[in-house]
Amino acid sequence: MSRHDQANILMVDDQPGKLLTYEAILSGLGENLIQARSAREALEILLKQDIAVVLMDVSMPEIDGFELADMMHNHPRFLKTAIIFISAVHLTDVDRIKGYQSGAVDYISVPVVPELLRAKVSVFAELHRTQRQLERLNRELEERVQQRTEEIRMLNSQLEQRVAELETIMQVLPVGVAVAQDAECRDITANAALRDLLAAPPEENIILAARDGETLPHEIYQQGRRLDANSLPLQQSARTGQQLGSMELEIRRQGKDATYVLASAKPLFGEDGNVRGAVGAFFDVTSRKQLENLLRERADLLELATEAIMVRDLNGVLLFWNAGAEALYGWRRAEVLGKNIHDILKTRFSPDSLDMEQISYDPAMSGNWHGNLVQVTREGHEIVVASRQALKDEGNAILEINRDITAQLRAEDALRRTERLAAMGRVAGIIAHEINNPLEAITNTFYLLKNHPSLNEEARYFARLGEEELLRVSHITRQTLGFYRESKDEVEVSLSQLLDDILDLQMRRLELSKVTVSKLYSSSGVIHGFPVELKQVFLNLIGNAVQAMPDGGTLRLRVLEQAPMENRPAGIAVSVIDTGHGIQPEHARQLFEPFFTTKSTKGTGLGLWISKGIVQKYGGSIRFRSTRFESRNVTCFKVFLPDSNGGRLATVTAGDSRRAYSQMAASVAGRSSVSDD
Amino acid sequence: MSATTNAIILCVDDEEIPRTLRKLILEQQGYTVIAVTSGREALDKLAESSFDLVLTDQMMPGMLGTELTRQIKQIMPGLPVVIVSGVNELPPDASCADRFISKIEGPAALFHGIADVLQQYRTAS
Repeated sequence: MSRHDQANILMVDDQPGKLLTYEAILSGLGENLIQARSAREALEILLKQDIAVVLMDVSMPEIDGFELADMMHNHPRFLKTAIIFISAVHLTDVDRIKGYQSGAVDYISVPVVPELLRAKVSVFAELHRTQRQLERLNRELEERVQQRTEEIRMLNSQLEQRVAELETIMQVLPVGVAVAQDAECRDITANAALRDLLAAPPEENIILAARDGETLPHEIYQQGRRLDANSLPLQQSARTGQQLGSMELEIRRQGKDATYVLASAKPLFGEDGNVRGAVGAFFDVTSRKQLENLLRERADLLELATEAIMVRDLNGVLLFWNAGAEALYGWRRAEVLGKNIHDILKTRFSPDSLDMEQISYDPAMSGNWHGNLVQVTREGHEIVVASRQALKDEGNAILEINRDITAQLRAEDALRRTERLAAMGRVAGIIAHEINNPLEAITNTFYLLKNHPSLNEEARYFARLGEEELLRVSHITRQTLGFYRESKDEVEVSLSQLLDDILDLQMRRLELSKVTVSKLYSSSGVIHGFPVELKQVFLNLIGNAVQAMPDGGTLRLRVLEQAPMENRPAGIAVSVIDTGHGIQPEHARQLFEPFFTTKSTKGTGLGLWISKGIVQKYGGSIRFRSTRFESRNVTCFKVFLPDSNGGRLATVTAGDSRRAYSQMAASVAGRSSVSDD
Repeated sequence: MSATTNAIILCVDDEEIPRTLRKLILEQQGYTVIAVTSGREALDKLAESSFDLVLTDQMMPGMLGTELTRQIKQIMPGLPVVIVSGVNELPPDASCADRFISKIEGPAALFHGIADVLQQYRTAS
């Protein structure tokens, strides 16, 4: 037993011998023994120390044991202090002792039996000690309870703060929040944002779905389908017990623009594990939705546009390429994005429309530019585009919108050409009438004169000379001014047969000039047309070829069927090739122009011009190439005539020949080969 | 002289010299030629005498050769008509005539054309 747990035992007796005796008896208990010679001394000790047991003699002078016990029991502090009286057995004493009835009072009769005294004191000491322990435990317990109470109070206050915070957050949150407090979601509280979304009056139970017979100011749709009460996010979540991800809803209200929200919901579970409600969040995405729609519409427009629309950065790197650009240039978007626009399109100025305004081409400087450009498609075709360019994205990108005007330019060109031809035709008509009439009269005169019996041989000779010269005039007017047609309808014409007919007519000239003929007909070359016109074309070409070979040579004629190509129908190609003196580069440009001739007085200068006019009328083309070799020249005129058998595409050739001219000019520059290919 | 050259031809032309010369060369071929100066006159002449062939100029004031041809073909469908013209464009209704001959083709072409047409009609009848 530790010292601290020793109980204080107060022994009170006026006789020191007895005190010694008690001490001897009790010393074996290991408790702390305190002696007092009188009741007064005992009281002083009691006030100073915590006494477990008071062992007192009943009969003492001045204040006896009972008086001391009464005094002690009057003091609340000593009410429960155990008292053992030691007394000779008197009946009155026993009765008084019993009168205390307190349980903490006992007595021992004299003579003292040591074991009994030790046992009684030991019990009381133990009792006291237990009582002290209990008190201590009690105190500790009370402290702990108090501490716990304080903790709970703190937690409560924190909880209240948190709830207040949450409510504040709900009210200021720009996201609509709804909380259903029952599994059926009848009672729903909503925050200000949700009330705004639904345009619900404040402080009123919010109703998301109409119940029987009720009409609501709003209807809720998902992907165009109207949602019933069970399908709304809160209800759905509460019913299924599942969390709902983002679902896009449309809130429609009479007379107002639709509101789009992104909704999510999560069920609330009670302690029993059953759904007791749900929480939903509604995020207004109307402006985003509107922007999306706007962007989608714009993107659709860009894709629908027939114009090529492109965006590039200031280094020319392509950032955007629409369907129109894919169609126009033949390059797919994936092939060109990230590449340089100039490498892809080989853009240059259109020579037809170059002016001072265009020379200052620099969208980065002026912000805007428009004009015609020449570009190259994937197939390698050159096209002319009407281009608009503008600086975008704060000067970091250039928007280019191009429209293909190649066909338009060709059509305009063809129209100009047709108009010119028509004007020429009108002039030719007038001249023809004014020349042909007297020509006939004179021809007839010479016919009469030549056969007149009165003429002598010499006069007849003069008349013949006059008639021959008249034939030349007739030939010229027939060739130039009189290309009338012998019938109104086209007939089948075999070009190889036609060439043979011409060769028969030219036989004598060919023989005289020592020209050998080589024919390579891989087809009879049947097309639909007017034989006289076509004959004129090849008569001109063959005539020119023969005239180019005064000292002999080879005339090669080739007839070839040609399969249809991308922008050219099927047809017949006829080549007239000679080994004559060739075409001078400086003449190449003017070759097809009217009144151009290299044969000085012998040529009309109209042959090729007329031939070309006729070929163009058939929707065909005429091209040449003249190449100078060491020992000789080879000149080839190639006529292509489509076997249209109906529709004619006169516009195609106009553009082709225009291009032919520019290319002719280019090829004349330094090479020995002159051509229009 | 072939059988066709006995034919009587009505020659129509507003211009005097060409008309006369055409008449002369045809006569030299053996044809009998009556010359008049307009379509109107030609129709009058046709009403009083009979002809084997009408040879008319196309460009005439008052009545074009083609118009005259149409009228003749209405009254006398069996009478051949040949048009001569100095213009380079074939008129749209040129097919009403039996033959359309350019003036600059020369006398030989004219004779050939006329003989050809007469031959056709003679074989047909």
